[in-house]
Amino acid sequence: MPALRFMLNGEWRSEERASPTMSVLDYLRTVARLTGTKEGCAEGDCGACTIAVACPDKDQHAYQAVNSCLMMVGQLDGLSVMTVEGLARGDGGLHPVQQALVDTDATQCGFCTPGFVMSMFAFHQAGERITETAVHEALAGNLCRCTGYRPIIEACRRLAGLPPFVQPLAKEDAERLAVSPDEPVGFTAPRSLGALASALAARPQAWLLGGGTDLGLLVSKERQSPTDVISTARVPELKNIAVTADALELGGAVTYSAALPHLDDLFPAFGALVRRIGSRQIRNLGTIAGNLATASPIGDTLPCLIALEARVVLRRTTGARHMSVEDFITGYRKTALAPGEFIETICIPRLAGRQRFFAYKLSKRFDQDISAVIAAFRIAISGGKVASLRAVYGGVAPTPARAKALEMVLTGHPWNSEALAAIDAALARDLSPIGDHRASASYRLDAAANLVRRLHADSSGDEPSVRLEAL
Amino acid sequence: MGRPEPRVDGRLKVTGNARYASDFPVANPAHACLVTSAIAKGRIVSFDLDDARAVPGVLDILTHETVGNEVHEPKFFGSGGTASTIHRPLSSAQISHAGQIVAIVVADTYEAAREAAYRVRVTYEEEDAATTLDSDGVETLPATKVRKEHKNPRVGDAAAALRAAPVTIDAVYETPTQHHNAIELYATTCVWSGEQLTVYEPSQFVHALKHAMAEQLGIDAEDVRVISPYVGGAFGSKAAVTPRTALVAIAARRLNRPVKLVATRAQGFTIATYRAETRHRVRLGAQRDGKLTAYVHEGWEATSRLDDYLVGGTETTAHIYDVPNVSTRVNVVRTDRATPGFMRSPPEVPYVFALETALDELAEALDMDPIELRRINDTRNDPITGAPYTSRSLMACYDEASRAFGWRRRNLPPGSMRDGDWLVGWGCATAVYPTFMGAATARVRLARNGATRVEIAAHDLGTGAYTAIAQTAAERLGLPVAAVEVLLGDSALPAAPVAGGSNTTASCCNVVAKACDGIRRRLVRAAMRADRGPLRGRKPSSVNFVDRHIAGEDGAKVSLADAFDMLGAPMIEEYAHWLPHGMEPDALKKLHLGSAALTGGAMEDRIAAAFGAELVELRVNVYTGELRVPRIVGAFAAGRIVNPRTAHSQYVGGMIWGIASALHEQTELDRRVARYVNTDLAEYLIPVNADVPDVQAILVSEEDRLVNPLGIKGLGELANVGTAAALGNALYHATGRRIRKLPLRIEDVL
Repeated sequence: MPALRFMLNGEWRSEERASPTMSVLDYLRTVARLTGTKEGCAEGDCGACTIAVACPDKDQHAYQAVNSCLMMVGQLDGLSVMTVEGLARGDGGLHPVQQALVDTDATQCGFCTPGFVMSMFAFHQAGERITETAVHEALAGNLCRCTGYRPIIEACRRLAGLPPFVQPLAKEDAERLAVSPDEPVGFTAPRSLGALASALAARPQAWLLGGGTDLGLLVSKERQSPTDVISTARVPELKNIAVTADALELGGAVTYSAALPHLDDLFPAFGALVRRIGSRQIRNLGTIAGNLATASPIGDTLPCLIALEARVVLRRTTGARHMSVEDFITGYRKTALAPGEFIETICIPRLAGRQRFFAYKLSKRFDQDISAVIAAFRIAISGGKVASLRAVYGGVAPTPARAKALEMVLTGHPWNSEALAAIDAALARDLSPIGDHRASASYRLDAAANLVRRLHADSSGDEPSVRLEAL
Repeated sequence: MGRPEPRVDGRLKVTGNARYASDFPVANPAHACLVTSAIAKGRIVSFDLDDARAVPGVLDILTHETVGNEVHEPKFFGSGGTASTIHRPLSSAQISHAGQIVAIVVADTYEAAREAAYRVRVTYEEEDAATTLDSDGVETLPATKVRKEHKNPRVGDAAAALRAAPVTIDAVYETPTQHHNAIELYATTCVWSGEQLTVYEPSQFVHALKHAMAEQLGIDAEDVRVISPYVGGAFGSKAAVTPRTALVAIAARRLNRPVKLVATRAQGFTIATYRAETRHRVRLGAQRDGKLTAYVHEGWEATSRLDDYLVGGTETTAHIYDVPNVSTRVNVVRTDRATPGFMRSPPEVPYVFALETALDELAEALDMDPIELRRINDTRNDPITGAPYTSRSLMACYDEASRAFGWRRRNLPPGSMRDGDWLVGWGCATAVYPTFMGAATARVRLARNGATRVEIAAHDLGTGAYTAIAQTAAERLGLPVAAVEVLLGDSALPAAPVAGGSNTTASCCNVVAKACDGIRRRLVRAAMRADRGPLRGRKPSSVNFVDRHIAGEDGAKVSLADAFDMLGAPMIEEYAHWLPHGMEPDALKKLHLGSAALTGGAMEDRIAAAFGAELVELRVNVYTGELRVPRIVGAFAAGRIVNPRTAHSQYVGGMIWGIASALHEQTELDRRVARYVNTDLAEYLIPVNADVPDVQAILVSEEDRLVNPLGIKGLGELANVGTAAALGNALYHATGRRIRKLPLRIEDVL
């Protein structure tokens, strides 16, 4: 009885057992003997292991680039998977992406190349417009130590105008992929909300897996070996996105990538910040609920969600409860989630009246770098005065920190340079940053204050700011 | 040669078909996982292996109790051996650095080996460890004490000249610990077949690895074969033999089954080598017109307790400018860390940073354009020996780079250029890399139909060696590049030097050309002697090999196929060896024993080096202190360029290395316990594509008739030299703040 059924480079495969500790990368290299996919870090940093997957449910047929090192083999179930070996045409000709990389001399040692090929393949067949920003974003999750990227970027540019080249998934294959397999061992991917709640109630000790971009690291890096994993990724209800008159509602399995168009629409600065989380491979796997549930002090979305007064719906078999994200985070990597409970929905209220939203991330390297400081501000200015302000910082305390003293000294006062004179003292009361190798404590405090000054500069105009690109 | 041929291995690489060490299929492999030391100094008191052994699928656990003296002591490369260190993990309970191998778990699957490795419990007795240059307990020794052959270049009376100089600079510079972080991990697969051992391991020197295994395992070198056709980046890290290989071989021998190891990214920070942190005190003396009168450079370099690794970069810096009085001195500082090793331009990156920053400080003190200062002190001769440069185009590089950059529009005073929220600074520095060459051997076979095979145990680390060697053979034999098959990276092939010191193109193209010339001579002789042949009676020097023909100057020609028929043979195979100028004849014998001896740089009768000029723009945000580098222009001259396309790639990639080295790359040390902190690619910041600026590499033409028959200079380690100084100088120009310690950090600017 197969525990896993999926397509690999157009051919059906099934496996008896889905080991909760075997990564897709290991599976490809040792079981499937496809060694084109490379291991460069086994922790989602380098992209050498990039593959492309398509998930036929939710009318989602497009291939997305993902890090195979972060995926547990159980996550393959029901997917169509492409690796670098699957791209060349039947007649032995190269895929246009491969040809472009050859033509621009974009390989040196070649070890990162298969990963770049797959990122570019997913980028190309999605039919995205080739702009400088889009190219940077599509390649941000792939590290190259030899070329300095220039020829690879050039290869990407040459894809403009070339028609996508991949066989679409046959209808019967897509239907077959959507069917749940027999009860797998060690790794369960419930196909409905009820089934997820029951599974968690029965096995409250199981790991609850969103995209695996954080939990996958616990296995590869933090010396943990799960014996039981329950994935949220195949629960259709959790993939729902609703844009209502009052709010943006994101299901508990909505990935960063799926949320992005809506964030761009409603909270552009939030969208710009999410674009700098990890890489596209990570954003295709990782979920916003997962970022929230790991409650890291440097989780990039948390300050935004708190500044925007987002709320969560927590569900278990016995019912659901609601709370603010601010209350949901209870401590350093601690949340209010009870055993058997999971995040069903994250609800982000729309900006009302004169409210505007700004977010900033400071890091040494532009992309894929852990933040030194994140700041999120929801501010309303009326008659030259700060009518309301919610200011939240990440990276400056064990949990995302609401800067209440700052909010108090600014609210109700004219939004001018005099107001700014008081912010350093206020922030010193609000924040207790630590110094580490990412940045010193005093830099973090200075930077936190300077971001308020930047907020002042940015919010003095009328346009909502997306100044992140300039950083 | 000289044409921008596309890489001959490009197709294999984009299809995933290029086989790297861990990709080779072996029958029924067992998988190894390392357990590394949690302490930096002390000893292992005991192991608790019960939990580890209980993991299903575990086959064997190697510790010092099982391995002991099974590995014979390796010889350090600095003492003429091949090893990165004399340290033998698993030979005793002693711990000599954090992250050293203390156990190896072998299991049926990688997952089982990893799980069991997590469960190995080690009890240590910890002693205080000396971490870095200033730590308690380090030993500082002059390089001349620890390395007999080390020479501190000196000439004239630098002390007196300094005292007399109207303008002087005296400053201390520091460079950080850095790790290569090639994208390919350190992998080793060992397969025994009876007495014979095959090693699949990414290597910059397969012959050295072969002999090292023979010595360390006490077996016959003829029974060892090392296979490494593709290397996923190396940058020096895969040159000297590291301790893991012999241990994997022993694990495979114990089980009588192939064993495969792929060390983790974090383990790669401690089981191989790294660029050690350095400190420099540089003193310069100059006349008011900018003429240098004195250069004093003292360097301190961290090394381990066990091996005195040493880069001694004054052997490069003392020869760059026309200074009549030079005094240099290098010291090693022994710490409780792993032994450092080569990393792309090992001596030049730290020492040139110090010198080129000091020169910028001098230009500032003289109120002089920094390029002008370098022009005033340019030279055609080695200032230490007086010997001539085989060729030198430093100022031509500056001229071309400044034209492309628009350097003339630079405002001299610091802090005087600004664009909105950004302070703008322009800086420059010299890039330099000595030209090295090594003894080499090669075999070339040409068939009647033009199919050519070149066999040489050289290495392509992504540099383009396959392509450059194919081009050389194609040109000598009058064939298209596609007709030439090149085999590299296998110790069963004729020996070639280490892929280090950027010598591969010079050494290997010269020996391959020599082998091709042997083939040419035999065919030409046959064509000239043949009755009624169109070339009968010509002088050998009057013909050339073009387009599958032997052609005379007047257009008379014989096809290759006809020449073979005249010779009466279906194919010719020629073996050649080549000794560069200045190398002892026994260098060939040494090469066959895996010696990495190279010649070049400052020799007795001449000096050979490639030069470049790098100009950068750096911007500093006035609010946040963030640094961005929007553009960089480098112009480089390195003799004859075999392939401008791959050379261009090396220059661009090198400058990006330089930028990363200046702005991002630092392995952070926890000074209390001599451990590294940021041992992954999320925290050790190599650039991502969005960090990469507008990079322009200019190839300045240079002809060198002296350096070697083909006039080739190495260039792979040229472009990352000087970049950090150029950036630091630009930061000064932007802000008026002089940062003398790398990497340049936001905190230092804010």
